[in-house]
Amino acid sequence: MEQAALALEMLDITKTFPGVQALDAVSFGCARGEVHALCGENGAGKSTLIKILGGVYRPDGGTIRLDGREVAFSHPIVARRAGISIIHQELSLLPQRSVAENIFLGVEPTRFGILDRRTMRDEAGRLLRRLGSSIAPDSLAGDLSIAHQQIVEIAKALAIDARILVMDEPTAALDRVDAGRLLDLVRKVSAEGVTIVYISHRMVEIQAVADRVTVLKDGRTVMTTTLAEAPTGRLVRAMVGRDLADFYPPRSSLPPGPPTLNVRGAANGQLHDVSFEVRAGEIVGVAGLEGSGKDALARALIGDEPFEVEAMEICGRAAKPGHPRAAIQAGIGRLSDDRKREGLLMQQSVRDNATLIERAFAPALRSPTAEPMSPQSTDKRLIQLDVRAASFEQEAQFLSGGNQQKVIIARWLARDPEIFIFCEPTRGVDVAAKAAIYQIMRDLARRGRAILMISSDLPEIIGVSDRILIMREGTLAGELPGGATEEEVMAIAVAHDREPHAMAS
Amino acid sequence: MSDQQAIAPAPAWRRYSAAPPLLLVGSILLYVGVALWTGQTRMLETDGVIGLLQRMVGLGIVALGQTFAIIAGSIDLSVANLISVAAVLASFIMQGRADMMLAAVLIVLAVSALVGVVNGAIISRLQVSPFIATLGVGLILQGLLSASFTDFAGSVPKEFQLVAYSTFGVVPYSVAALFALAALASFVLWATRFGAHLYAVGGNAEGARLAGIRTDLVTIGAHVVCSLSAGLTGLYLASRLRSGAPWVGRDGVYDLESIAVVVIGGTLLAGGRGGVWGTLAGVLLFATLDAAFNMLGVSAYPKLVLRGAIVILAVAVYTFRTRGHVA
Repeated sequence: MEQAALALEMLDITKTFPGVQALDAVSFGCARGEVHALCGENGAGKSTLIKILGGVYRPDGGTIRLDGREVAFSHPIVARRAGISIIHQELSLLPQRSVAENIFLGVEPTRFGILDRRTMRDEAGRLLRRLGSSIAPDSLAGDLSIAHQQIVEIAKALAIDARILVMDEPTAALDRVDAGRLLDLVRKVSAEGVTIVYISHRMVEIQAVADRVTVLKDGRTVMTTTLAEAPTGRLVRAMVGRDLADFYPPRSSLPPGPPTLNVRGAANGQLHDVSFEVRAGEIVGVAGLEGSGKDALARALIGDEPFEVEAMEICGRAAKPGHPRAAIQAGIGRLSDDRKREGLLMQQSVRDNATLIERAFAPALRSPTAEPMSPQSTDKRLIQLDVRAASFEQEAQFLSGGNQQKVIIARWLARDPEIFIFCEPTRGVDVAAKAAIYQIMRDLARRGRAILMISSDLPEIIGVSDRILIMREGTLAGELPGGATEEEVMAIAVAHDREPHAMAS
Repeated sequence: MSDQQAIAPAPAWRRYSAAPPLLLVGSILLYVGVALWTGQTRMLETDGVIGLLQRMVGLGIVALGQTFAIIAGSIDLSVANLISVAAVLASFIMQGRADMMLAAVLIVLAVSALVGVVNGAIISRLQVSPFIATLGVGLILQGLLSASFTDFAGSVPKEFQLVAYSTFGVVPYSVAALFALAALASFVLWATRFGAHLYAVGGNAEGARLAGIRTDLVTIGAHVVCSLSAGLTGLYLASRLRSGAPWVGRDGVYDLESIAVVVIGGTLLAGGRGGVWGTLAGVLLFATLDAAFNMLGVSAYPKLVLRGAIVILAVAVYTFRTRGHVA
């Protein structure tokens, strides 16, 4: 490896922010066409490193080399011109513009100073076909599924002839089938000689796609190794310093209590005759592909979308929430799958976020700091959940994903609902925080709460749930006990026992 | 869902706004209907129709520029004050002398462009919200103007009045100019890089920046276009009124009305989507309302009520349609 210059080399990169040493002499390098996984907990320094590579931040020290030549990026444009393309976790496509316009954003081809739309369309079509996709260049980006938007993002990178492609948790919002397809694409693009830096929390993916992996912890490089030498257990230990065995908390040995939530014949545009129950002390996982209706079910139950039901009971009382406030009054608490949009008040303090639900239900003239909203009892709940913040007056936007999730859970603890609906509870959350959130869920169950966990993360569904419900095309397609294999779950989730019909599309 | 199926291009109605043709048809029906009902059929002859189009010019030109600012995710509340500045400056420099026309026009356009640069720079460099930045600049302009002039200042020569009062055959210069500017604006938005970047910055400023677009320059460019259009409207008003007074922009409510017609025309107030033909159709609707109320002999105040209702209705309809199709 010494003779040929590496495609990308970052050497002794150091970066300090006020009060934090974000990167301490971090080094890693990748050969041309290599898929190099970068992993580490949130706060380990991955995103800072990537921002330095992308020209967003300037390093305090260290060197970056591309093909052996030292470079310095003063602005994202310079990095882009050098052939570095970064696909951020929050996709940056313009929903109102066509796919072709998005692919050539910032590098629009012109003829005599006028946009060459024909070339844009043709080239966009060619790039997409090269990726094995048949997305029409004229479709609006906002009409595409997340999976297809990812493909457009990759095409966007190819359009500038990127030599280094950084993908920041590209599968975080994808279901298993689409994630698998994306991984195929990653292999395909790397086989064409593009070097890929692949950031992910999902060990299975890293095992499947990466040639080598670099683990960061607390701003330092812990190790760089080929995947063959690094079983998942060793990687996780390197990241968090503990074993996978303690990752999922043990299931309860007690039999579950009486049914807390009982739903018969739930139906709306996306749901067809869904019946199930969740008992006190039970964690029930809901699995299914994107569009299977598992998200629609969550939205219906929390009163966010209208639905019909033959019977619905909460703790034996008839209940059918028509809007979110009614759902909360009926005893349903919910953790949204999109904490930025539906969960947090980003510019408000951790404390304010943690009291949101109680304040919504407090009488009009009640002081906003009366019990249970007082700073003392709010802080107690935040500490109980081990929320890490510089101070509880810090704005929620500055917390890590895991701590943001905990703040949202804290707001529900004050209300203490009978049923918790957790939607993608650990999306975009690091390994240590995942384990903590699973433990919190198990503790809630042990205290007699019923928990419905809707998730696209199969290992999580299998590791955490007492029972697994599998949805497909808006119906409940099957049920498996906790600890079932991924293959068993997928077999039900993708089965085609009926002719596909118009409804599915 | 699978990628084996082709992902079809968006249907035409999703790519092109249905607003312009609908507003056009609505305006024509309203105009013809009121003319027939009140028996003023001569309003349907050439002179009447030209009169209607002439009503569009002042608001139309500034609204074209406002469309640029709004597509780029910004907004410009200083246009009314800049229009007053341009009108007063033009007539003050000319003082009725034809030989000063060119100098006056150039100075007015230079001042307008400078105001655009200032607006854009405050927004993109100092990161002040567009609403506050342009409100502040507008107040400053009005203050400077009112401190220097209290009444009509100077006058424009006969030759300059031709801008507002002369015609090619039956078509007034000013109406032809409005449509030529609209065609130019439409071309810039559709067929140039600058146009594509306006939509990009308005749609997702951070995404555009990370894609390597100089978003600050795009914002400044949008405001220069907007301010230049306000300057042109000011020149037109000076020509039409034969002189400029420090209240002509404010009296025309050009700031709020230009925003209203842009929004009625289907341009997203948040930016990233829209176009000038919708804006022009919105201007036509407002001009038609004016004409209809004149024919009906009703006072101007109910017209305001109707305008307000139309703005709200239009935005409600767009929001509703968008939501229906996203879900």
